[in-house]
Amino acid sequence: MTPNKSSNRAELLQGTLDMLILRTLLFGPAHGHQIAKHIQRTTDDVLQVEHGSLYPALHRMERKGWIVAKWEMAKDRNREFKYYRLTPAGRKQLVREQSRWKQLAAAVATVLWPARGG
Amino acid sequence: MSVWNWLRTRIARVAAWRRRDRDAEVERELEAHLAIEAEEQQDSGLPPEQARYAARRAFGNTTRAQEDVREIWNAIWLERLARDVKYAASSLRKSPGFSVVAVLTLALGIGANTAIFSAIDALMLRSLPFTAADQLVRIYSIQEGMFNTFANPDGPSALDVRDFAQRSRSFQNMVAYDTWAKNVSFGESAGQPEQMEVGLVPAAYFEILGIQPIIGRFFSEDENQEGKNYVAAISAQLWRSRFAGDPSVLGRKIRINGEPYAIVAVMPDVIPAWVEPGRQSEIWTPFPYSPDMWAESGRGERGYAVLARLNPGVALEQAQADLSVIAAALAAEHPVDQGVGVAVKRLADSRVGALRPMLYLLMGAVSLILLIACVNLANLLLARNSARQRELAVRAALGAGSGGLLRQLLAETLLLSLIGGAVGFACAEIGLRALARMHPENLPQLGSVGIDWRVLTFTLLVSLVTSLLFGLAPAFMGTRLNLVDALKQGGRSAMSGRSSQRVRSLLVTTEMAMCLMLLVGASLLIRSIIRLEGQNLGIRQDHLLRGRIYLPPVRYTNPGVRTRFCDDFATRVRALPGVIDATVTTVYPPNNGWTQKLVIPGYAVTRIQDIPSAQFGVVDQHFLRTLGIPLIRGRDFAESDGATSPPVALISEEFKRRYFATEDPIGRKIHIGPPQLPGIAVEENITDDVDVTMIGVIGDFKNAGLALASQPQISVLYSQHPLVNGGFKDILIRTASEPHLLESEIRSQLRALDPDMPFAEVQTIDELVERQTGGQRFTTVLLASFAVAGLALAVVGIYGVVSFLVAQRKQEMAVRMALGASHGSVLWLVLKQGVKMAAIGAAIGLLGAFAAQKFTSGLLFGISPVDPLTFAGAPIFLLAVAAIACAIPGARVLQIDPAQALRQD
Repeated sequence: MTPNKSSNRAELLQGTLDMLILRTLLFGPAHGHQIAKHIQRTTDDVLQVEHGSLYPALHRMERKGWIVAKWEMAKDRNREFKYYRLTPAGRKQLVREQSRWKQLAAAVATVLWPARGG
Repeated sequence: MSVWNWLRTRIARVAAWRRRDRDAEVERELEAHLAIEAEEQQDSGLPPEQARYAARRAFGNTTRAQEDVREIWNAIWLERLARDVKYAASSLRKSPGFSVVAVLTLALGIGANTAIFSAIDALMLRSLPFTAADQLVRIYSIQEGMFNTFANPDGPSALDVRDFAQRSRSFQNMVAYDTWAKNVSFGESAGQPEQMEVGLVPAAYFEILGIQPIIGRFFSEDENQEGKNYVAAISAQLWRSRFAGDPSVLGRKIRINGEPYAIVAVMPDVIPAWVEPGRQSEIWTPFPYSPDMWAESGRGERGYAVLARLNPGVALEQAQADLSVIAAALAAEHPVDQGVGVAVKRLADSRVGALRPMLYLLMGAVSLILLIACVNLANLLLARNSARQRELAVRAALGAGSGGLLRQLLAETLLLSLIGGAVGFACAEIGLRALARMHPENLPQLGSVGIDWRVLTFTLLVSLVTSLLFGLAPAFMGTRLNLVDALKQGGRSAMSGRSSQRVRSLLVTTEMAMCLMLLVGASLLIRSIIRLEGQNLGIRQDHLLRGRIYLPPVRYTNPGVRTRFCDDFATRVRALPGVIDATVTTVYPPNNGWTQKLVIPGYAVTRIQDIPSAQFGVVDQHFLRTLGIPLIRGRDFAESDGATSPPVALISEEFKRRYFATEDPIGRKIHIGPPQLPGIAVEENITDDVDVTMIGVIGDFKNAGLALASQPQISVLYSQHPLVNGGFKDILIRTASEPHLLESEIRSQLRALDPDMPFAEVQTIDELVERQTGGQRFTTVLLASFAVAGLALAVVGIYGVVSFLVAQRKQEMAVRMALGASHGSVLWLVLKQGVKMAAIGAAIGLLGAFAAQKFTSGLLFGISPVDPLTFAGAPIFLLAVAAIACAIPGARVLQIDPAQALRQD
């Protein structure tokens, strides 16, 4: 944990956390801690996942049927974890959110760097 | 109730279990997270204790996360509802003014409706207390071609009923029965003699109704024979009051009209008063069939009440068709039955009787009240929601879903209407008690009005529908808001938009229209009853006491004895100090006498409907003087007119106008009785053997009820007419002081003459008139209070809308005033809006009142249902009240300090 990199940290935009979680679960089932760690590691600690929002987000998506959960023994530890995995509905949701994100990013880019658009 | 409780605890238990389960799981999940975090911290070199601490710090607020998760899963509606209601309650508490006005508005509307509905429930809807009550019917005789109403039915004759029963196949059983006012003494130990309604009922009467005696037995067939009929059944009520519920009452004797009857049964108090033709019976005796009862001459003697029970599976229409065929056959066989048809009606339908139009009118009135209340509520909610526009917008911007907002607004409305419903229910309860105290004599059914589960359901339903219909629309308007607009408009409400203002004006206009209809209805009824009670009876009405006596034939066996008794009684009463005069009579205003057919020499008659007839009175010599009726021509009765002198008569002016328009009647003779017309059978009527000489013309007095014009009247002396000198007599006493003070003195004079004779129905003529108008007064008081309630609601409505308007246009007004507009013109700007709404509403209301004349016309006396004065006065009154209601917020405009108002915002 490197709590002092706060200056580089970006706030997660509303709705993007869901997308990132879904994307993470595309690799296979994971528990909350793994998901948070994965997002942090892959973004080089730029995106810090607030645990206070991670768990409510997981439960919200479970309720919506995008992911399912199961208590399983961890392979590397002698402890049970609640593993989440993607459902077909979750996959569809991920596709939807990715394409929306792409549009949004492109739109923001055109505003910020108009010359490139020509 | 218990099922509901059980269900509720089950749901709550399941909800709690699921919640605990979920909470435990989340806790476990977070613990696992913390554990793995701590392990990682330990791996990077921290001692275990510090590692756990760091993990916890890194996570942040676990309780908060747990709560958030719980929030996500808390979809259990009961919990959510409870939360919404809690929010709603606190939000209502924060604006007590709004809440109180809204609750009172609803309470008024719901309370009035609950009260009237419970009356309708008791009078029309509640099932009868008899087994298989839908098989019970009444049978009436109807004059063909006449409209037969429940208010004025006629009964068949005993012979007709016998033939109906023998020839028809639709009925299990059928009885003709009757009630008579009789003198009843219970013996020394059981108190004063009393005049009571005695039901004359064959044994089958109780069988048809399906009533078993509490103790004792039914009458036997045998006891229907004259001479064997000296047995009586008494009501449980009478059993308790006169015999203290003593079971050994069976076999005891009571004296009815001077003859002893043995009590053989105590009947339960289940027969409502309206089943019997007179007032409520508490004693029944068999219907004695005299041998000549079945002689054909009695076929024209109609007027019996008839009760029957249909065979199972027989429809009313079948029974009607069955009897119609028989009635047609009887009409062909017997001339006296010509033109007489038959009507079969359900017993349950006969209970409302003449009350029906009144109930419909009141039902219409309370519906209007409820509508006005609902409109007001909608208006209040609109205003409130628009004032909260900013609060709602902020909450929406902070992420509250519009579903959640809607739900919360709905919860508020629901809560309001339930509280309103509860308060209204309490008001109805209190109102009904007040109504029962007014208890008009001719509406005995009202005694049974009460609140039961059906009324409760009704109230609940009305409350819910009200809140859904009139709360949902404003709630939708409240949530369908534009965030940007609402935030941009700052302190000003987004509801100032033209369209929503139009909705509110429309609502107030509707309110005004309905209010005007109520005002018109109420003022028509008020003016009608003032006219009705102010009727000139044609006598000196004040200080006139009346009481009834009955001389049973067992003791007063012949007309001579009856004359002597009446003369003795009247003489004794006249001798009392404080008595100016007294007369024994069968006729007194405003009551109907009996209609007597006459033969007037020189007055040619060929058709049955041309036969001269008049109201017939049998009186003594003091009649004119006691009542204060003026003598127009000729002479009054004199003491010298006695049993042995030639019979004489007094006729009224109307009688002279009708039958002696051009001639002088004084000294002329007429025959009391119908003429003999070849080939025409005239219905039973009294025929006297001696003709009477007319000696005087007297002033007209009311003799056909309060509402009808005076009919021709002829009065004769009972001492001269043994044939019409019957047992029922009234005594009228003109007193110098308060009439009721003399009551006990008169009673003791009567007791001195005959200790078994009750002095019944003692009342002054003023009281009699008041009682006869009781039904109308009752309706009038109710409708007037509804009109006042409606007016109050409408005033609140228009006041609210105009205040709102003033608040919104404050700046505009300030600008106008700053630019030099006069106070008057600014005030007019405000007033104009309100008065316009009131005027349009009043115009629509006038149209409505005009269309509603069908409902009011039957209840009005001496005033047109489209009376121009009322139709002009009511809108003017409404406009004036509306203008005042608008002027109050209008005056606020004048206090605006332009400089200050413009600086705001």
